[in-house]
Amino acid sequence: MIAATIPDLAVFFVGAAIIVVGALGVILAKNPVHAALSLVMTLFGIAVLFIEEQANFLAAVQIIVYAGAIVVLFLFVIMFLGVDKAEDITTEPIVGQRPIAAIVVAALMASIVALGQLGHWMVGTHASTTATTGNDVADLGRSVFTTYLFAFEATAALLVIAVVGAVVLARRVSPDELSTDEPEVAQVPEDLGATMTAGEVEQ
Amino acid sequence: MVEQKAVDTYLPVLLLLIVGILFASLSFVASGLLAPRKKPTAAKLAPYECGIVPDREPPTRFPVRFYLVAMIFIIFDIEIVFMYPFAVVFRQLHTFGLVEVLTFSVTIFVALLFLVSNGALSWGPAKILTKGMPSRTSDSTIVRISAATSTEQAA
Amino acid sequence: MNLLGTDPLFVNGVSWAVVLIVVVKVVVAFAVLMGAVTMMIWFERKAISDMQSRIGPNRVGPWGLLQSLADGIKLFFKEDLIPAEADRFVFKLAPYLVVVPAFLIFTVVPVGGQVTLFGHTFDLQVADPPMGILLVLACSGIAVYGVMLAGWASGSKYPLMSSVRASAQMISYEAAMGMNVVTVLLVANTLSTRGIVASQGGSILHWNLIRTGFVPFVLFLIAVTAELNRPPFDVVEADSELVGGFNTEYSSIRFALFYLAEFMNTITMSAIMVTLFFGGPAGPIPNIPHLRWVFPILWFTVKVVAFCFMYIWFRAALPRMRYDQLMDLGWKRLIPLSLAWMLLVAAAITNWRWAIGVLAAIIIAAVLLLRAFDLGGARELEDQAVLPSIGARPLPGYVLRQLTDAEEVED
Repeated sequence: MIAATIPDLAVFFVGAAIIVVGALGVILAKNPVHAALSLVMTLFGIAVLFIEEQANFLAAVQIIVYAGAIVVLFLFVIMFLGVDKAEDITTEPIVGQRPIAAIVVAALMASIVALGQLGHWMVGTHASTTATTGNDVADLGRSVFTTYLFAFEATAALLVIAVVGAVVLARRVSPDELSTDEPEVAQVPEDLGATMTAGEVEQ
Repeated sequence: MVEQKAVDTYLPVLLLLIVGILFASLSFVASGLLAPRKKPTAAKLAPYECGIVPDREPPTRFPVRFYLVAMIFIIFDIEIVFMYPFAVVFRQLHTFGLVEVLTFSVTIFVALLFLVSNGALSWGPAKILTKGMPSRTSDSTIVRISAATSTEQAA
Repeated sequence: MNLLGTDPLFVNGVSWAVVLIVVVKVVVAFAVLMGAVTMMIWFERKAISDMQSRIGPNRVGPWGLLQSLADGIKLFFKEDLIPAEADRFVFKLAPYLVVVPAFLIFTVVPVGGQVTLFGHTFDLQVADPPMGILLVLACSGIAVYGVMLAGWASGSKYPLMSSVRASAQMISYEAAMGMNVVTVLLVANTLSTRGIVASQGGSILHWNLIRTGFVPFVLFLIAVTAELNRPPFDVVEADSELVGGFNTEYSSIRFALFYLAEFMNTITMSAIMVTLFFGGPAGPIPNIPHLRWVFPILWFTVKVVAFCFMYIWFRAALPRMRYDQLMDLGWKRLIPLSLAWMLLVAAAITNWRWAIGVLAAIIIAAVLLLRAFDLGGARELEDQAVLPSIGARPLPGYVLRQLTDAEEVED
């Protein structure tokens, strides 16, 4: 076991601070776009902690997948789907939601602290118990493609299901489901239709 | 080993990050000091629309394809992320690894086939504009021109 | 001292000599990048004007060399506007999100060999993280935010449209980019950029360009060009339809930063391509004492400049692509092709029997995909037939007026 040094602690605290500030931002920001950006900040902090743990690959993946893809989708929806600039947070969507949430969070925190106190968690060692080569990508690759092969291929199947789900969600409504208050078709007289070409309309 | 060059590895990245941020913020400070500090007129602060006063809000909704692309991208991104460690250890896995990744790729490909055959990735131009309007033929052009000239005469 | 169970990152303590070298490297990298960007802007303007039989910048400095510097200084003195409709915080944040990743990508590029100075041997590379090439992808992922937020925060119509287009385009091509990186990694077996360069040592035949069979390079080049929003994929700033693109509302130094980042990204991505496919700083080294370290840098520079010139050439020669063509190219051509070639390379590494098998499978897959293209196209037409879409909306006033006027006349 190698002792952590002062710079190590500094990195940890800076990373943790970024995470906490980002998390607070997600909750407290009135504007949903600001909240999503705070989420990016949290994810970045997590990447810093991964690097501190020498999980280089996970740090990169954290940024590529979470910040680079998932929050981008969040932002797409928030920015370009006309979500209100500031949500009214004074009304509770579900009555009694907030007290219940507070109780659940308190219970979870209490159980985590209790676990830390009562259980014998391995603290202060390298996280993985198997022999590592110092090359985290290769280690990860070997375990994913040998030991956890089934889980890996199952993930592929899961992703295909996700693709189908995405398409179904985004599919256009069928004509019968269309509401009748659609704007009327502009009546273009048969012969005069010729007076208007697509190009003209686009002008 | 990685451990021995940890400082060497990430300190420069951090420093360049700081240098980048400093450069940007100092530029803003310098610009703040050097730029004219008069109060801009309302016209200057209005959204730029080539001199036309905007009469409506910017669009707040966009075609669903954009969201679909963002969703599909997440899925493909995750699939590609699995490929990186595979590529690194490929030579140790030999044929076994190849079979694995072929299976994996088949599922990716099936997903892609599904998307393409559903038209989910088609961004084709809306051809509907011409619907209900006869396509342009010499006859239609004659009608159009005569209509236009008769309008002129009426005016 | 091991309170929190953190794995130690700084095991051997911090050696101040190492820190000093790091600081020097960072400062040099920053200076080189800034210098390269001003040169690149000048080079682009000059080369394009040559191709268009113009003279180009020729007033400031010899051959107009200092033109970009003059432009930069001028922008400092310009009024800095934040539009009334803007989201002020995000509007100010966006330039950072574009500039900082542009700087960071350069850290992983190996620009030369090893140099020994004051008893310390170090690589001519700012940093060599073990996941080097992924840092590039991560940074280009973050750069999407800058473009997206800049357009949205402006509170203006055209920048918003531009940023929607740009972000969808950038994420689409990121997928294709990643797939081709995987092909290179199959040959190199390491994520570290130095490792990738080292695996291409030897003769020109060891370059990944040859070893991966040329195709991934072409696909990667296309993907990178789209990722950079450079012509012919610059629908983002399609001047004729979107004014100036996502940064229309930006003025003064904020605009300059977007401009800077764009050119910096062009240079760094050229450097990444050189690293991935062209052996990085590899090249013949004449045996001249004390000067051997210069040649790798020279080769690297020559290769990067060649790529930069190619981008300029693209801009002068190729017409802009339509948005639907762009997305079709990304999703329907580049991604399947990259995947197929990646599998083919993997099979070829295993043995030739597998290679033939995989090739046969790819041909079948291609047939299926072509069939899917047809199906997708038919589906689209069908949708249009049942949906009273654009045609169903009220026609613009002027068209209606035209029609009704005409009707009266005919009556």
